[in-house]
Amino acid sequence: MPEPLFDYEAHLAACGRGERQALRDLYVQESPRLLGVAKRLVRDTALAEDIVHDAFLKIWTGAARFDPARGSARGWMYSVTRHLALNFIRDHSRETQGEPDVPIITEAFDAHLHSGRIHHCLEQLDPDRRSCIVHAYVDGYSHAQISHKLGTPLGTVKAWIRRSLTALRECMG
Amino acid sequence: MITGPADETQEERDELASEYVLGTLSAERRSEVQQRLRDDAELRTAVDTWERRLLGLTDLVEPMTPTAHLWPRIERSVAALQPRPPQPAAQPASWWNLLPLWRALAGAGLTATLLLGALLLTQTTVKPTYLVVLVGPQDKAPGWVIQASNPREIQLIPLGVVEVPADKALEFWTKAEGWQGPVSLGLVKPGQTLSVPLDKLPPLVPDQLFELTLENPTGSPIGKPTGPIQFIGRAVKVI
Repeated sequence: MPEPLFDYEAHLAACGRGERQALRDLYVQESPRLLGVAKRLVRDTALAEDIVHDAFLKIWTGAARFDPARGSARGWMYSVTRHLALNFIRDHSRETQGEPDVPIITEAFDAHLHSGRIHHCLEQLDPDRRSCIVHAYVDGYSHAQISHKLGTPLGTVKAWIRRSLTALRECMG
Repeated sequence: MITGPADETQEERDELASEYVLGTLSAERRSEVQQRLRDDAELRTAVDTWERRLLGLTDLVEPMTPTAHLWPRIERSVAALQPRPPQPAAQPASWWNLLPLWRALAGAGLTATLLLGALLLTQTTVKPTYLVVLVGPQDKAPGWVIQASNPREIQLIPLGVVEVPADKALEFWTKAEGWQGPVSLGLVKPGQTLSVPLDKLPPLVPDQLFELTLENPTGSPIGKPTGPIQFIGRAVKVI
């Protein structure tokens, strides 16, 4: 995971002091990735922009209370954005059970392209279980949607996910 | 405050945190977790740890360039969050921020300004540096003219006698760009010429807004316009 040489913490602290240029810098730095993440979850570009808009307002208003001891500033920006998007899709539970036509990235999954530890750990999982994790995290699929998508019983999917998360925790520490 | 069940094991809490971050919880369970996160430090730590563990998965997503509208929209929303001076609930939207109103007035105001400016220039020996024609917001009929021979004092000159209800008074206001809101220049009697020193205010600037609003006999109780605008115009620098 390339973490560019950009001081997210300093910029967030500046936002906390009310410096709008710092928010602009964070936007320039991170909005395309955040929008990509949101778009993948909500499937609609205009809606994804709404999510990123709301996320930046939350980042602006929450900056002063951000506690670096709880994690990286960059990670927090993703958490804020993802949870806004996840809240949206769960609140407007998509009727389509895994229908949306999205590229199945897990098939093209190549751990060597991604240097982060998570990718190494993901590679240790069976492909089906890896799919579950990626569809859930990246595509925002519910258990039922994953079950439908993979043609695997719901109970099995739930158990796979639980065990995969345990394996990831042990692998990553 | 929502806390977890008393018998929740560390294992169960961690599982809840992991599925919350992964995204597989239902809407109900998500909102439950989000409420617990406010007060439950252990759950918060578990969630933070999972956020950190899984963050790298965001690398799998293609970035997407936002449209050109998104940043200006965020900027506007951020600006709207800034604290504003308190206003009574019953007051309508701040009319001094209504751009279309100023646009509509600009044309009428400018024409009248030029005409009356020329007229006034032939009658006075001291050349005014600024002129403002105050017109009615609906009919755009000129009602008052303001002239300033120096940026520290202005004269408000009636062009006719306007009718003001017996239980009301006209209050004179100004606002330049960047000010929080209009500042009162005092009460005005219909038909009366008034000199107003601007010693407590910054010097006049082009486009500075002036208006007369209908207020209580003692003036607006909150120091900001509350009644309808009777006359309005912007300062034009005389060349």
